[in-house]
Amino acid sequence: MERTPSTSHITRRTLLRALAVVGLAGVSGPLLGPDAVPAQGTLGALQPEEKVEATMKRLFGGRPIKDGSSAIKLDIPLIAENGAVVPVTVEVQSPMTPANYVKHIYIISDKNRRPMNAKFTLTPAMGTALVGANVRLGETTDVRAVAELSDGTLLMAKREVKVTVGGCGG
Amino acid sequence: MAEIGKVRIRVPSSIKQGDVVRVRALVIHPMEIVQRRDGKPVDKNYHFINKVVVTYNGREILAAETTQSVSENPFFAFTFRATEPGTLKIAFLDTHGGKYEGTVDIKFS
Repeated sequence: MERTPSTSHITRRTLLRALAVVGLAGVSGPLLGPDAVPAQGTLGALQPEEKVEATMKRLFGGRPIKDGSSAIKLDIPLIAENGAVVPVTVEVQSPMTPANYVKHIYIISDKNRRPMNAKFTLTPAMGTALVGANVRLGETTDVRAVAELSDGTLLMAKREVKVTVGGCGG
Repeated sequence: MAEIGKVRIRVPSSIKQGDVVRVRALVIHPMEIVQRRDGKPVDKNYHFINKVVVTYNGREILAAETTQSVSENPFFAFTFRATEPGTLKIAFLDTHGGKYEGTVDIKFS
């Protein structure tokens, strides 16, 4: 079925999907809050295509970001032969007590069309502030890890990764 | 495609009470990237995982918002403090309304 580019964005398919999502939210119960409803994957709902400066501004506003290279351990290969699968591990030095823990970790790659790779929301129950993921990198780029502490401080570390074959169409 | 949603979780074989346990999880998923036609992105409902929720005995310990800049067959690593025996559950939610779950029992040796 070829879909004509509709301006209204409300087609039978999207409507059915929206209904399915409502049903899913109904059964998943109190554990997943309303914000856990999966966004639709149409272009409007995706991360916008933008420069990394715009992403940083959108995510963090004008808040100052401190250099966190001593507190954040960003484990990522120097050269990634395949940009489609680049393992990244971010570890933030933190006691992870309810009073002082890392709230969010963002992984952002500067030259991707949609720079934000992933946003993690952490809790003190994790014991350490360590998250890892495999990300896509479109080309040789800086990769930033931004940690937001529970008191609102933002720390950032970044490293350049050389990518031989890009792995990102979007 | 038949394997979509298969979740694999690895934890250390021996866990002591109070340990900080490192968990690795993988889910089979295509994680579609944006297609382009004549340089313009094609508007359609892309199929990718946009939410990951990890719960331990019903308490949420980690949530992640993921985008298409995460690899096909996404892999995640994280840690948690094993204070009591129980079940660790990882749920992956995608944009087509799919929910893929994996659980692992945490026992102390």
